[in-house]
Amino acid sequence: MNEDISRLMDGDGDADTLDRLCRDRAKSEPIATWVCYHVIGDTLRGSGTPVPGFAARFSAVLASEPTVLAPQRASARPATWAWAAAATVAAVGVVSMTAMSLSDSPVTAVAKAREAATVRAAQVRPQAVPADYLFAHQEYSPATALQGVGPYARAVAAPAGVDQP
Amino acid sequence: MRVALINLPRLALTPVAALTFAFAPAAQAQDAAQWLARAASAARSLNYVGTIVLQHGARVETSRLIHVADGGQELEKLVSLDGPAREVIRSQGEVRCYYPDAKVIRVEPRTMRNVFPSLSTEQQQSLALYYTFRKAEVARVAGHDAQAYVFEPKDGLRFGHKFWSDIETGLLLKGRLLNERGDIVEQFAFMDIAIGAKIDRDLVKPTWPSMPSDWQMKRGSAGEMAVHDTGWTVTKLPPGFTKITEGYRSLRGKRDPVAHLVFSDGLVAVSVFIEPRSSVPVQSGPLQQGALNVYSMKVDDQMVTALGEVPGATVRQIAASVARR
Repeated sequence: MNEDISRLMDGDGDADTLDRLCRDRAKSEPIATWVCYHVIGDTLRGSGTPVPGFAARFSAVLASEPTVLAPQRASARPATWAWAAAATVAAVGVVSMTAMSLSDSPVTAVAKAREAATVRAAQVRPQAVPADYLFAHQEYSPATALQGVGPYARAVAAPAGVDQP
Repeated sequence: MRVALINLPRLALTPVAALTFAFAPAAQAQDAAQWLARAASAARSLNYVGTIVLQHGARVETSRLIHVADGGQELEKLVSLDGPAREVIRSQGEVRCYYPDAKVIRVEPRTMRNVFPSLSTEQQQSLALYYTFRKAEVARVAGHDAQAYVFEPKDGLRFGHKFWSDIETGLLLKGRLLNERGDIVEQFAFMDIAIGAKIDRDLVKPTWPSMPSDWQMKRGSAGEMAVHDTGWTVTKLPPGFTKITEGYRSLRGKRDPVAHLVFSDGLVAVSVFIEPRSSVPVQSGPLQQGALNVYSMKVDDQMVTALGEVPGATVRQIAASVARR
């Protein structure tokens, strides 16, 4: 059924499929899937608009659903998900909220959203050198012995590059 | 030759290394070490004030640097001339960074280590084995006659370094790091400098002698590193690098101490930080800023970060081979 929804969204669904889905429209799961797919698409394209207060509600839901929303990752996978961009978190959050408001079982929807989020997260690179590491390293860098506090110009450089202050 | 050097196992562990030592140009090693010691000594013992430009990656930072050596005591001040007027003050074994834009004073309670006068024989040999040291041209830098020296790497695991030092005093006036294609990855230079003049001590005082009431003071690291066997090791350390120190640091806002290991080939250092993943604001993967390369990855439940002024492949190799002993 999810494949049918996906095809319909892509404009590939035929009349029979449309009829079948419309007959099932009273069931919550296909509606949740439909909304879920649209939210994923919108958010990944950057056109999704989370509603005000969304972040706070998402945090509350996250706190109450730790096993669903923040499962343990297999150790071989890159630890990028947790540090993904806000858009990624928003994608998961929007879908979670939507799915939860429409369905008693958000697990499937969230899993799909996570899948999409992971694709997005893999493209996000780290942005800043942790300042604590840089300062601690500076103490032992031979450049410091040659140039005194000169190299600290990098550590205090504004604004980007080093996680400040 | 290049391949042989890259594959050379760690120094002092094998007969091959011992044999290579015999052919290492001892005079060159001594020249390099002497030059570094003179430049480091000049940086510590002279009074100087000048404008320094640091170019790293696509960024350029211009700062005013003032250094006073007063009866063995060093006072130093660096003020950003671009953007917010951030300051770095070094005195009494403490480095304080003032961020007027963020209203934060960051205190690093530690001394600067004088690396070069105390290079071990092994490190001197490393310098000669993994870099070709030579005297280059005489040039003028910031109005001073300067002698250029080059450390040319013999493998792809380190950057090339070119330094210009004041002929009269040995003070470093300009420095440049180059990648294997000869592109500049980072450079600094004095635009103007007065060396040896008497400097008013007021010039090295912070602009904010006492902390304004709406500012915050942050301590980056609580005290000195506690030197300790951390139980961690780097199994594929690039040749020529030896461990300088290892121990634990208490970093700001961290529940657990962070393991810190430092390795050096005599000219540059690479730091390795290891801490529980749960407390790390670090993402896996590479990061570069000028000559500084960083590589972070997970090892079991820990996050390992290697960083230093070496090519990205070098920090990656180090981070990827961190293991429990």
